[in-house]
Amino acid sequence: MFKYYTMMVDYMLSTQKNDLIPEKWYNVVPDLPEQLPPPLDNEKNKSSIELLNSILPREVLKQEFTFQRFLKIPDEVREIYEQTGRPTPLVRARGLEKYLDYSGKILYKYEGATITGSHKINTAVPQAIYAANEGVEKVVTETGAGQWGTATSVAASFAGIKAKVFMVRISYQQKPLRKKIMQLYGGEVSPSPSDETEFGRSMLKQNPDHPGSLGIGIGEAVEYALDHNLRYLVGSVFNSVLTHQSIIGLETEKQLEIMGTEPDVLIGCVGGGSNFGGFSFPLMKKFKDVEVIASTAAEVPKFTKGEYKYDYVDTARILPSVKMFSLGADFMPEKIYAGGLRYHGAAPSLSMLVNTGRIKTVDENQESVIDALKIFSRTQGIVAAPESGHAIATAIDYIRRHKDEKKTVVVNVSGHGLLDMSIFRDEQ
Amino acid sequence: MNSPSTILYFTSSFPDHKTLYGFIEKVDPEVVKYVEVGFPSSDPRYDGPEIRETHEIAEKNFHNGHLEQYAEILGKKGVRTYLLTYYRDLARQSSDFIPHLGDSGFSGVIVPDLLVDYSSIAADVIGEIQDSIDFIPFFNPATPDGVIERISGMTESWIYYGLQPATGIHIPYDLEEVSRRILDLLPGREVNFGFGIRSMDQIGKIMDLGSKGVAIGTLLVPMVRENRLQDFVALQRQIGEVQDHVKG
Repeated sequence: MFKYYTMMVDYMLSTQKNDLIPEKWYNVVPDLPEQLPPPLDNEKNKSSIELLNSILPREVLKQEFTFQRFLKIPDEVREIYEQTGRPTPLVRARGLEKYLDYSGKILYKYEGATITGSHKINTAVPQAIYAANEGVEKVVTETGAGQWGTATSVAASFAGIKAKVFMVRISYQQKPLRKKIMQLYGGEVSPSPSDETEFGRSMLKQNPDHPGSLGIGIGEAVEYALDHNLRYLVGSVFNSVLTHQSIIGLETEKQLEIMGTEPDVLIGCVGGGSNFGGFSFPLMKKFKDVEVIASTAAEVPKFTKGEYKYDYVDTARILPSVKMFSLGADFMPEKIYAGGLRYHGAAPSLSMLVNTGRIKTVDENQESVIDALKIFSRTQGIVAAPESGHAIATAIDYIRRHKDEKKTVVVNVSGHGLLDMSIFRDEQ
Repeated sequence: MNSPSTILYFTSSFPDHKTLYGFIEKVDPEVVKYVEVGFPSSDPRYDGPEIRETHEIAEKNFHNGHLEQYAEILGKKGVRTYLLTYYRDLARQSSDFIPHLGDSGFSGVIVPDLLVDYSSIAADVIGEIQDSIDFIPFFNPATPDGVIERISGMTESWIYYGLQPATGIHIPYDLEEVSRRILDLLPGREVNFGFGIRSMDQIGKIMDLGSKGVAIGTLLVPMVRENRLQDFVALQRQIGEVQDHVKG
C-alpha cells in the first residue's frame, strides 16, 4: 500500500501530474437511463431557448445540447487548468479515519486547492476562453456567496477580457473581502438588485433595501448581457457546466486507479449540482454499483420537499424552464452560511437520477455542518467551505452508521472556507 | 444509391380546413414520401413558437373528420400519412381512436413526448399502437444511446430524428456528427431528420450524409397561413431538384 502513496506523491510533485488532467470532459446525457426532458419556453409566442443563442458562448451552447459522450478539452484550457492548481489532490483522510475509529477508507477530493479555492474555476475557464475566442470583450454573470464571481473574474482575466459580476446585495454588504478579490482579479462588481437593469430597478422600486437573491442576480446578468451584446457565463445547473466539472471525477478516477482502490460510496454537496455531478457522474460510469449520496441543506430541502417538475431557472423568468427538483423559483431560503446551496433547484440530469432512485439524498442542518467542519479542520487541517461541510457531515454520519463494513468512502470537498470564517463566530 | 425523400408537416386544420386541404391536394408525390399531420394540442410543449401558434388556431377549427380527408387524398397519391400527436392528447381519445386511424389510411403515429414524459408506460403504449399501425420512434441528440437501442428494437418502422430540442430554433450543432451518431447506432434502418431545417442547403447536406429523408415543418407555416399555394409548389420543385442532385 505504501508504494501506491509514494506513486501518488510522485504524481502530485512531478511534471507527470499533468497526466492526471484528462484530455476530454465527460457528458452524462447519452448514458442517462431515460431521455433528458428538453428545456421549455416560458412564453407561448417567444422562444427563450432561441434566446440562449444571443447570450451564451456558441461553443457552450453547442455543448449544452450535444449527444457526444466525451468532449475534447481545448489545449489552451488544459494549460490554464494546470495554472489553476489542477490536478487537485485526492487525499486519504487518515486523521478522520482515526477519529471515527473507522477500519475502511475515507478519501477526499480537494477542490479547495485551486487558485480561487473552489471547483467553480473548472467551468469559468473554458466559458471565458470560448467567449474571448468569439471576440467579445466582456462577460457577465451573477454571484451569490462570491465563489462563482471570483472564478469568472480570474478566468476572464486569463482570457484577456473583462468581467462584470452582479453580486447578491446581502453578500456584497456582508462579504467585502469577496468583492475585493473579484476586483483584484479585474472584475467589475455591482450589488444586485442594481439600477443598471430594468429588472433590478423594478426590484428596488418594490424594496429599496432589497437583499437580493441568486435568481434576481441571474435575471440582471442575462438582461445586461442582452442589452450590451455580451456573453453570459453560467455557474451551475446547465449540462455544459456539469460536463466541464467532470474533470473532478475523471481526475479522481485516475487517482483511484493509481492508489489501486475502488470506491464503494461517493458523497458530495448539491447547490445547483455542478460539483456533485462533475465529481460523481464519471465515477458512476466506471463503477456501476457505487452508492451515491447527494447532501443538501435542510434549510433548502429541494430533493425531500421539492417537486420534480418544469420550473424557472431564474426569478426574472428569462431563461428557459427545465425539469428539475425545485422548491419553486420564488422560494426564499433562510439565511444560511452555505450561500452556494441556497438555490431552489438542481441540474436536470442530477434531478433525473435522484428521481429514478439511482442517487440518494440527505438533508443536513447547519448545526451538524458546523460540527463536521470542526471535526474535519481538527483531523485533516482543512477548513472546508460551509457548502462542502454538508458533504463531510453526511460522510461522517454514513461512516458512523456503517462502521464495520470497511467501505471506501470518497467525498468531494468542493472548496475551502477560509473566507467564510464567520460561520465559527459563536464557536469556542 | 441513396434515394432521399421529403416529409412535410402540417398542423391539422390550420389555418382552416379548406386552406390546408388545398395544400394537401398540391402535395407532389414525386418529391414527398410522407406527410405528418399534427393533432392540435393545447400544450405543444416541444414545438417552437411558430408551430405552437398553429396549434392554438387549429384547436378551434379541428374536427376528427379532417384527418380522414387528408389521409384519403394523400393515399390516392401514394403518399403515406402519419399522425403526430402529444401523448397527453392521445390519452384523451377513445380506445378505438388508433384502430380507426389505421382504417382511415394513416400508416403510423409519432408521439414526441412519450419517451420524455411518459417513459414508464412507453413500452405498453408502443405495443398498443403497433396492434393497429406503426409507431414511429422519435429521438433527438438528448436521447441516451440505451433508450435509442431499446425502443428501436421494439419497432420496425422508420425513425424520426430531431436535430434540435424544439422545432424552428437554431442551436448550433455539427450536422455531420449528429447525423453520423444515429446512422451508426442504427445501421440499415431508415432514419429521417427533422426539427429546425430551414434551407435548401441544409436539406442537401443532410441528404448527402445518408439520411433517407428530411422533414420540413416550420418553413411551411407562413405559406400555409397566407395561403401561398404557388410558393408551396415552387418549394417542392426546389426540394425535388436537391433530391435529384443527391441521387446523382
